Amino acid sequence: MAEVSIAEKWGLVVDQDRCTGCNACVVACSMENNVPFTGEDNVAFGRGTYWIYNKRMWEGEYPRVAPAFQPVMCQQCGSAPCEPVCPTFAAVHSEEEQINLQVYIRCIGTRYCANNCPYHARQFNFQDPDIPEPMNSYLNPDVTVRSKGVMEKCTFCVQRIVGGRQTASAEDRPLRDGEVTPACVAACPSGALVFGDLSDPNSRVSQMAQNERQYKLMDELGTKPKVTYLKGGGRNGG
Amino acid sequence: MKQKKPWWKQPGIQIAAVLVVLIVIGGIVGGIFLTQTPPEQPIAFPHDRHVGMGASCLYCHPGATLGPSAGLPGIEKCWGCHQQVQKQSPELTILAGFVERNEAIPWVPVAIQPEFVHFKHSPHLNAGLECSTCHGDLTKMTVAEPQKGQNMGWCLQCHKNTAPEQWTKLSDCATCHY
Repeated sequence: MAEVSIAEKWGLVVDQDRCTGCNACVVACSMENNVPFTGEDNVAFGRGTYWIYNKRMWEGEYPRVAPAFQPVMCQQCGSAPCEPVCPTFAAVHSEEEQINLQVYIRCIGTRYCANNCPYHARQFNFQDPDIPEPMNSYLNPDVTVRSKGVMEKCTFCVQRIVGGRQTASAEDRPLRDGEVTPACVAACPSGALVFGDLSDPNSRVSQMAQNERQYKLMDELGTKPKVTYLKGGGRNGG
Repeated sequence: MKQKKPWWKQPGIQIAAVLVVLIVIGGIVGGIFLTQTPPEQPIAFPHDRHVGMGASCLYCHPGATLGPSAGLPGIEKCWGCHQQVQKQSPELTILAGFVERNEAIPWVPVAIQPEFVHFKHSPHLNAGLECSTCHGDLTKMTVAEPQKGQNMGWCLQCHKNTAPEQWTKLSDCATCHY
């Protein structure tokens, strides 16, 4: 396969040495993106919906055991395995934002994309969202409520990206670094998540992505993820 | 010997064909009637008179500059002028009734987007579009009329023609669908 130069745009840095595993990102994401709560039984069946999940690992030998947390969301691959398998072009690459999009109205629920995703980032709606009476007031009007039979995944809060871009263009100025943040980044109390423009070498996220602790999740697959993880492994205060 | 009729003269086939044609025509007529005719409004608001007198669209629909929805005026906005001007008219008695009962006017929105389209007015206004480009010439309408053929191809056609240099951004799925 010919190498195609991938234009960098939005990127996320996850500092695992800072993550305390509080799961605030998971909650914030669910509220921002109208992610339905499927209940215990469905999660036990592997039918839970969550756009970001916190992988917990135990490190070290007893009695010196410490937990390590790894928040995993859609890695917004530059060369995404989910895209070429979609028969209806519901999983498409955004040329403007350089992220992977899921166009819900096109999705017919073949689930090929989820089977091809190495990160378990995609969730399928096995049932219509059941939102009881007072909770429907919490739904975010900027995000479509997905119905049964539709695949969904983290979008880097593209509604915030588009909104920020439109606000900036209305005020006739370029987007500032850190102006647009996904819900998980805004909610992170320890500052473990940093979001920004990777094509700007001076942005905070570009600086952090060049840290010596950096690694990409399953980089050997050649998916070119936009999410960079930082982990010192005990060397750099980790 | 009785000759066998050709297939298009068989009565069963003919009846079925007539039924299919009737169903298709009924669907087309019903679809046009349900989507292309203006719905009944609580007050037959004369847009032509207001716009013709030079009232700005944004005076009654100020949400267009602020948020995704342009908004429909409430009793305060209408009564703000009509308390003083032009009290004698059957439509204004209906308005006075709403004001007396302190009720919201149950306007029926005409220009609506499906839930999977996230349209915002402000970028379009900032790009210098006139309201009439999408909503039609309101100087010739009383109540607002739905505009014909406003589908995704229509959106993209305008995006392509007005700003070809921004085609990557304006044809991106995430610009409208998320």
